[in-house]
Amino acid sequence: MFSLAQRFQTVSNQVVTYACFIAAFVAITSWLQLAQNDAFSIPATINNIQPSINVRTSRYYGSQNGKPKQNSKIVFDIDADLSSLFNWNTKQIFVYLTAEYSGSEGRDTLNEVTYWDKIITSKDDAQLSLHNAKSKYSVWDLEEKFDGREANFQLKWNIQPWVGPLIYGQTEGNKTITFPVIEKTQKKVKQKVV
Amino acid sequence: MNLRLELTRFLKLCFVLSSAFMFWKGLSVATNSHSPIVVVLSGSMEPAFQRGDVLFLWNRNERSKVGDIVIYEVEGKSIPIVHRVLREHHSVEKKKQLLLTKGDNNAGNDIPLYAKKSLYLQKERDIVGTVKGYIPQVGYITIWISENKYAKFAMMGLLGLSALLGNE
Repeated sequence: MFSLAQRFQTVSNQVVTYACFIAAFVAITSWLQLAQNDAFSIPATINNIQPSINVRTSRYYGSQNGKPKQNSKIVFDIDADLSSLFNWNTKQIFVYLTAEYSGSEGRDTLNEVTYWDKIITSKDDAQLSLHNAKSKYSVWDLEEKFDGREANFQLKWNIQPWVGPLIYGQTEGNKTITFPVIEKTQKKVKQKVV
Repeated sequence: MNLRLELTRFLKLCFVLSSAFMFWKGLSVATNSHSPIVVVLSGSMEPAFQRGDVLFLWNRNERSKVGDIVIYEVEGKSIPIVHRVLREHHSVEKKKQLLLTKGDNNAGNDIPLYAKKSLYLQKERDIVGTVKGYIPQVGYITIWISENKYAKFAMMGLLGLSALLGNE
């Protein structure tokens, strides 16, 4: 009646059941704690965004068949305190600065691109205070140029838990800029050829 | 040896196997993903995901967002990849969406991993699912079994032994 296999099965069943309960408890309480700390409405100030445009012809910068492609980079300031995102179920925070912009006139595209991101694994590093920081990525668009389009920047975050659901959110506060109009794309290409 | 008892036991085994299969397929239908639960195989998303972590996927969203962690399969390559969406471009009217991804632990984006000459993934065609939930490490046993040649024999032996000893 009480064979070794049966005992093993009973014990492992119990272990799995309790583990599930503990995991659910941890996930729920950590979410409640986030809500209580107003983690879903953290203020952030994004300032001093200076865009710059480069023309690239490599595939790894979005160019296809050697056609010139505008790549944009930015310099920016950010102040935000993300420490309320840390609790006992936070393994890491992934913060990212994105820009949303639409296609040029007559196109019905909407775009969102990441300029900068960071992995934060400790509460001590959760105070973001960046000045004249450079964007991490060189961003190109589906279209050849960014010329004169407006982009809306926002800081967003993702909590990677020890166990449970991934939680996403965004900070309050955004900044809109206009990409500069570059008129002489042709000339730059010529210079390269020479 | 009692034939009726053996047959009942066989039927029970069939029942267990088929119910596991039905559970898996039911989950597939519910999440709209052909593999709704996956095990992480590479370290390219560390420290978020390590090898052996188990991820739960959902694929009923119409569009992916920037920052989402997605699983994708590139045509012609059989290994699914878990990476984060870095950029998205979509059409307001149509369903089409283009995605560029990157592993948190990788220096560059995923263009070298994509199909020849393509710069983007297509949401409809390439994405297997978006990561919604996470359990650490419990999937390591599947990696261990598939990568260690003795592990398979050990499993077989264990199963055989339990079948022999399992007579009530």
